[in-house]
Amino acid sequence: MSGVCGCCYNPNMNSPFPSPTAGPFGRRLKRARGAKVPVTVLTGFLGAGKTTLLKRFLESPEGAGTAVVINEFGETGIDDALVRGSADETLLIGNGCLCCIARTDLQETLRGLLVERERGELPDFKRVVIETSGLADPSPILQTFSTDRALGDAFYLELVLTVADAATGLKTLEWSSEARKQAILADRIIVSKSDIADAEPLRARLRALNTSAEIIEAVNGAVDPKSLTEPGDGQRNPFVAEAEHSDGIASFVLTFDAPILWTVWLRAMDTLMAMRGGDLLRVKGFLAVDGCTGPVVVQFVQHLAHPPVELRDWPDDNRQSRVVFITRGVNEKAVRGLFKAVAALN
Amino acid sequence: MSAANNPLNQKLEPVSWNFNLLSQNNLGGFGGMGEGIAIQLAKDGRRIAWLAHESAPKNFTGVDVSDPRNPKVIVQTELPNMQMRSNSLDLSGDILAVAYQTQKTGMKPAGLELFDVSVPEEPRSISFFDCSGPHSRGVHQLWFCDGEYVHMAAGAPDFNPSHPNDDQFYRCIDVRDPSKPKEVGRWWMPGTSATDNIAPPPRHPLDKGYRAHNTNVYPQRPDRLYLCYIDGGMFVMDIKDKANPKVISHWTNSPPYTGFMHTAVPLFDRNLMLVTDESTEDNALDWPKLIWMLDARDEQHLVAISTCPLPPVDAYKDRGGRFGAHNIHENVPVPSSFQSDQIVFGTFFNGGLRAYDISNAYQPKEIAAFVPPAPNGSKIGSIQLNDVYVDENQIVYTVDRFSGGLYILECDF
Repeated sequence: MSGVCGCCYNPNMNSPFPSPTAGPFGRRLKRARGAKVPVTVLTGFLGAGKTTLLKRFLESPEGAGTAVVINEFGETGIDDALVRGSADETLLIGNGCLCCIARTDLQETLRGLLVERERGELPDFKRVVIETSGLADPSPILQTFSTDRALGDAFYLELVLTVADAATGLKTLEWSSEARKQAILADRIIVSKSDIADAEPLRARLRALNTSAEIIEAVNGAVDPKSLTEPGDGQRNPFVAEAEHSDGIASFVLTFDAPILWTVWLRAMDTLMAMRGGDLLRVKGFLAVDGCTGPVVVQFVQHLAHPPVELRDWPDDNRQSRVVFITRGVNEKAVRGLFKAVAALN
Repeated sequence: MSAANNPLNQKLEPVSWNFNLLSQNNLGGFGGMGEGIAIQLAKDGRRIAWLAHESAPKNFTGVDVSDPRNPKVIVQTELPNMQMRSNSLDLSGDILAVAYQTQKTGMKPAGLELFDVSVPEEPRSISFFDCSGPHSRGVHQLWFCDGEYVHMAAGAPDFNPSHPNDDQFYRCIDVRDPSKPKEVGRWWMPGTSATDNIAPPPRHPLDKGYRAHNTNVYPQRPDRLYLCYIDGGMFVMDIKDKANPKVISHWTNSPPYTGFMHTAVPLFDRNLMLVTDESTEDNALDWPKLIWMLDARDEQHLVAISTCPLPPVDAYKDRGGRFGAHNIHENVPVPSSFQSDQIVFGTFFNGGLRAYDISNAYQPKEIAAFVPPAPNGSKIGSIQLNDVYVDENQIVYTVDRFSGGLYILECDF
């Protein structure tokens, strides 16, 4: 098919059994995660109310069948007494939910969950929420799903959710680069404790840091449970202005009006990753690819690319390619120039 | 550690991932269902699910599934006696074909009945084609999609099997005049008729018989019959001349497997074929019963290249009842049927309903599962999902063998 490079992830390529109904990227999916287990990464400032939020969610019908992974023992967990009272690493916490403590290695814990579910030794779980310790940089967790082939095949990072509290959040953002990174990489930000402090200054600061994330407020952890499960839709908004942050982190949205040749996209991103991969903190969006009927979801975390998938349908009437770039020291002009140059050489 | 022994899963939690249950209906307390599901797009705009029952007293049930969240039984018919069952049905337009099988040979009624269901609440018998005989139990399964021919696994008054378990063979019935069905072709596995001059085939340890089961014919290849023959494996047949079916190829996995080949579904555009076994023994004594993927590029030389991965036997074998493959969605060539050569839906008795992505034919991958708790009235304490049909909107209809009736789900993948 024109415009589709042979080195992409097409199960029809090199197969004696190609399906004429498959697209260039294989089976067209209802949504980006396909059949993978959705993962929500829950980050947040110390004392921002992550655990309260999570407890409320687990008690709701939408929270049933959630496996909670606490990525560092010692952090205030979902049920501290229960955690400390047990020698096991995996615990039932009601409502069909599980809690695991990733004492050593997140990857090992996630693989263990899969294996035990496969053996029927664990109740079924439908999603995973990874609760990070207070001021963790979420980047390594994002990379986990790209670097570990087995995990990337089974889990899909659906949502990075950051909790910031209205009372102390603004100050935390000032002194903590990890907190800024949590805000910048989030798909959705929940502002907690807006009942005891004015949330507006924090909202304004968060909006400046992250122009595409949805920002909502929670009082005593009360938010729509879907806030913890529905994918972020930041990439659907093409009207995000370029933002430059104090840590040299920039975010911008690259758009293309006409369908792009896959070879152009691939070559440009190959070049970008080879030269500045470490500075591509997160790249995510929809592409209108020449030869495809649905949008192609692309995702990159630093040097790593997720396999692209083609969706059955566009989420709205906008057929423009739009990809959010969160970078360190790589600006929109340079990236646009690279794409233009590659397109001219094609 | 087995699932039952693990303190984290002592309740044997129901499994549901990437399927959403929309509704369940126990069909008025007669929720023991067979292996016949058809969807009628009625002329008044309603969508009617026609369901075969596993056993007497009910014949078939019509359910208005126009709103899949609120299915309503609109008709439920009775069998004339308790020594028979109508385990299979199929629909073409407004004509419903129903298979009648008796408990023992020589009993009646055993055969095929056609109904006009243009008014779904009032099925009207059009004709009955008698298959009873001294060595016949009638019809076990039928395939009727084109409005012209019923392809079925049936006995006959004049057929004398070489072994009593081998009474049902392939019969093709011309129903172009539905009031006067007539046989136009038949075939049995050589050696299974007492009149054959070759030795009968050797018996398998479980001895489920050398009998026809599914008899699938598709418009992409109207001259081909995909015939599963239980302990006899699977045959690709040339039926261009319906009066003289000819064997093109034969494939079997047994021995070393334990027989009961059930359904063959060709995926024409990909030169693949799916073949299923049926689990028939409780507590997984016949494990593993599988869905097989065959390389069918050369229909004379079929090669097994993979299987759809079963859930772990240790987690299911002690739950009660059967565990293993049975029916799959067969890409039935009618407007109300989902067509896919990339996704397989299958029922696995207490292993529930499973969906597989077969984009890579060498590595089928499970992408969804639904194992509900034991339904009320279950005599074995577990679900026994028996059959599955997926409509053109990817709404999934699956049925329990003993009491759960109809489960309607949407796909979430």
